[in-house]
Amino acid sequence: MWRGLWTLVSRAARGPHSPRLCTRQGSGYRAPGSGATIFALSSGQGRCGIAVIRTSGPASGHALQSLTAPRDLPPARKACLRLLSDPRSGEPLDRALVLWFPGPQSFTGEDCAEFHVHGGPAVVSGVLQALGSVPGLRPAEAGEFTRRAFAHGKLSLTEVEGLADLIHAETEAQRRQALRQLDGELGDLCRGWAETLTKALAHVEAYIDFSEDDNLEEGVLDQADSEVRKLEVALGVHLRDARRGQRLRSGAHVVVAGPPNAGKSSLVNLLSRKPVSIVSPEPGTTRDVLETPVDLAGFPALLSDTAGLREGVGPVEQEGVRRAQKRLEQADLILAVLDASDLASPASCNFLDTVVIPAGARNPNGSRQRLLLVLNKSDLLPAGRSDLHPDLPSHLLLSCLTGEGLDGLLEALKKELAALCGDPSTGPLLTRSRHQHHLRGCLDALGQYKQAKDLALAAEALRVARGHLSHLTGGGGTEEILDIIFQDFCVGK
Amino acid sequence: MSCNPSFGGIGKGHLMREVDALDGLCSRICDQSGIHYKVLNRRKGPAVWGLRAQIDRKLYKQNMQKEILNTPLLTVQEGAVEDLILTEPEPEHTGKYRVSGVVLADGSKVYAESVVLTTGTFLRGMIVIGLEMHPAGRLGDQPAVGLAQTLEKLGFVVGRLKTGTPPRIAKESVNFSILNKQTPDNPSIPFSFINQTVWIKPEDQLPCYLTHTNPRVDEIVLENLHLNCHVKETTRGPRYCPSIESKVLRFPNRVHQVWLEPEGMDSDLIYPQGLSVTLPAELQEKMITCIRGLENAKMIQPGYGVQYDYMDPRQISPSLETHLVQRLFFAGQINGTTGYEEAAAQGVIAGINASLRVRHKPPFVISRTEGYIGVLIDDLTTLGTNEPYRMFTSRAEFRLSLRPDNADSRLTFRGYKEAGCVSQQRYERASWMKSSLEEGISMLKSIEFLSTKWKNLIPESSISSGKSLPLRALDVLKYEEVDMELLARAVPEPLKKYTQCRELAERLKIEATYESVLFHQQQEIKEVQRDEALQLPKDLDYLTLKDISLSYEVREKLHFSRPQTIGAASRIPGVTAAAIVNLLRFVKTTQQRQAAMNRVPKTDQQLHDTDRLEESQL
Repeated sequence: MWRGLWTLVSRAARGPHSPRLCTRQGSGYRAPGSGATIFALSSGQGRCGIAVIRTSGPASGHALQSLTAPRDLPPARKACLRLLSDPRSGEPLDRALVLWFPGPQSFTGEDCAEFHVHGGPAVVSGVLQALGSVPGLRPAEAGEFTRRAFAHGKLSLTEVEGLADLIHAETEAQRRQALRQLDGELGDLCRGWAETLTKALAHVEAYIDFSEDDNLEEGVLDQADSEVRKLEVALGVHLRDARRGQRLRSGAHVVVAGPPNAGKSSLVNLLSRKPVSIVSPEPGTTRDVLETPVDLAGFPALLSDTAGLREGVGPVEQEGVRRAQKRLEQADLILAVLDASDLASPASCNFLDTVVIPAGARNPNGSRQRLLLVLNKSDLLPAGRSDLHPDLPSHLLLSCLTGEGLDGLLEALKKELAALCGDPSTGPLLTRSRHQHHLRGCLDALGQYKQAKDLALAAEALRVARGHLSHLTGGGGTEEILDIIFQDFCVGK
Repeated sequence: MSCNPSFGGIGKGHLMREVDALDGLCSRICDQSGIHYKVLNRRKGPAVWGLRAQIDRKLYKQNMQKEILNTPLLTVQEGAVEDLILTEPEPEHTGKYRVSGVVLADGSKVYAESVVLTTGTFLRGMIVIGLEMHPAGRLGDQPAVGLAQTLEKLGFVVGRLKTGTPPRIAKESVNFSILNKQTPDNPSIPFSFINQTVWIKPEDQLPCYLTHTNPRVDEIVLENLHLNCHVKETTRGPRYCPSIESKVLRFPNRVHQVWLEPEGMDSDLIYPQGLSVTLPAELQEKMITCIRGLENAKMIQPGYGVQYDYMDPRQISPSLETHLVQRLFFAGQINGTTGYEEAAAQGVIAGINASLRVRHKPPFVISRTEGYIGVLIDDLTTLGTNEPYRMFTSRAEFRLSLRPDNADSRLTFRGYKEAGCVSQQRYERASWMKSSLEEGISMLKSIEFLSTKWKNLIPESSISSGKSLPLRALDVLKYEEVDMELLARAVPEPLKKYTQCRELAERLKIEATYESVLFHQQQEIKEVQRDEALQLPKDLDYLTLKDISLSYEVREKLHFSRPQTIGAASRIPGVTAAAIVNLLRFVKTTQQRQAAMNRVPKTDQQLHDTDRLEESQL
């Protein structure tokens, strides 16, 4: 401890321009005390033209090369244009400006890299996930960049004063994000996994620390093994379930549905600002599902135009109706379109009864299907008539023809999508990449556990796995493990 | 040795090795006094091996006294300490008083520059058998009441703990012939790094025997709970090493192990480990005789419980000096621990620091990244304890790095350079081992063949010859069934020479086993060490400190525990991340102040040493 202190003291005293330190600059520079390499989105909140993603730590150079492979590191502190691609899949992510700051002449004093990418959530999330897959990299904890800069004597005292507030704000935000993400089904899953793992670990630890002293139940290890196997399967299934992770990358599924000739295709064309669907006054014009990626109020979305829902038509249109219904089941958000001038028709009533009303009811796991009811062709209504139908659920008036009501619709869409995808600012991107990072880390560690012949190594793998989960769920110290041990076993000397 | 006739065990063996690496005595004395050496956890990986031995009480006492009485410049005086002599504190240190000696029971005074208190179970000690309670530190010894009162009056926060010891049984009255016999290891593994062997051959060592409790034992315990006040009391006892009463109460309808351990080579006593009990004496005898093999057993001394005072260990710093009284150090059960090894670990640190303090040298503190001793002291000083604290391997987060085999390379060099507590002989031995290991590892890394060739060279290995990949000798050594002997047979030049020292060969094998994981652990360790390097000013008055935004709750916690580093502060439950950053400001100002005081020459040397050490650790 004393030696470490003196290192820091002397470093701070001599400042960053000490000649001895400069001789060690360059790739692979490792300041004493530097550990893992961290990354984070460091540009401002919200949607913007350019987003800046930063790394700091000894593997920064490696990370930069991995994403821009097979190119060499760019010259220090010079912006270069590079194609970024995912090191695992080779899938191109973005064309971006990259910068390389070898330590100690960098913001944190460590090797740093910066990626200036296009600011779309999909790109940012893609690059963060790609960085997370580079060995030695992990998402930064709140305030960690600043902490490192501080530790390397890169911040003045006045700058440090603002740091507490910053970290407080960041931890608060992260806590809220974590809470939001851990609310509901996913949270229960995570907590369940963490409990299973803690128990498995406690049993392995009990076997290490106590088995020779007293009689633990037979098969403590076998039990832990089978728990771990089950957990591995569950995690694997979850990680393969691309849907959750991809909502932001490829967009939320927004399905436009309604009876024939309500103006669904007109709405799709209006929202996508291009003629995606053929529009005609003839009912049943759209027979298949037409998909188009669009940007809705700042969120990426996959907009699906579907066949008008009606019965007793020809086989082709019926297939179209079947596909439309299937798509409705998968929708993240339904845009239900009715003809405002034709609400009393059997087709309209039927649609209201079979799609709109059921969507408002809670399904067994407590959530509701998200749905926006849009009454199109408001231009056909007599002026001043707003009490269309006393029993009608809350709805929006729109005229695809005149564009009247579009602003209101976009506002409503924004609200729904924000709830679906989370805030498009740093929040969900970071929590998602953290989430994936930790779940994948957990899964890898469980794989190590199975391979380990040495029990100390096996337990270490479980500790690493549990460490990843407790990052997501919080809690989990040695005491917790000991509590389980003493609660489950009678252990002697 | 006032309780169990053994040293070491899982986690405790690690402490023994670390105490030895700092040239503490107990490990060397155990190598001269053991009567049954056995390494626990053999099948579970060398990081969690538990060196353990049954020790002959009489021999241990003799050998220890011989060693102590022959230590140059050491005066030994026996007597009960009743009070402390206190004077004005030194203004440049925190603390309300300064200790300058002790007052003995006969009124005589012993003056000292620093004082280490190791009170065991003596502070207001109370022995309990059945419903009877007697003031005593242990059977036959007076408790220390005056000293306990002094400490309380000075303002120390005092708590109460309990422990127990089993009855002793006459050896000739036990029917060993029907019990499971456990034989010692062959060869015996010594505790000390400087010993190649122990004093006694395996075939001359004594066996241990295993028997079990049965439902009749449960009945006797349950029928007589009303005669047993030790069990009912709220004073906290250990959850591990529980008395037979708490085992029966917490885990009913179970059979529990009882180890019958010899108390010495020529001792007539058997120590029934696992039978710690506080029933009235006649009921203890009744209980013993319903156990298999003990049907005719004669109880020589009853088991009993002990309740005693301890001082909340958050009132001491990691050097074991108290916050309240300058130059007063606490070690052992007074800090809420249990066990000889935990006590020895604190004893060696308290001793070193008591001496460094007098010489105005910086304290010698072991981080939790460096040793189990560090884990023990950090847990105590930052978290406190409300039950007798015992070491487990699961308490150490860097378990794969903190192994019994490498305690010397972790601690001996620091002990030699910073504390001056390590003998020249030990230092040289550790240096030789360290350089041999480094040389051996780089040699093993440099030898590389295709896996098919390795399979041909070592057919008994499970190397897959399916895919032909280049493999380093170090990777081959990772296979469970491969050891240095096999490897050297396959590649005699240049590996043969590394098999000549058995310890070296075994340590190379262990290094290979953990190589890949250690790299990652090293990174984590560095992150922890970064926070440990950020020292908090010792004279910070957390309660009145202005210009710093800390909640009252956090202030109180910091005030009580007085963490010395940012790392320690962050481990105190309830101290938030934001509070930590506010503390960083103070570290920064202190550093600047200290940096101004300690200009280049000294720090450069320190820096140089640090770097060299860090490089060699990788």
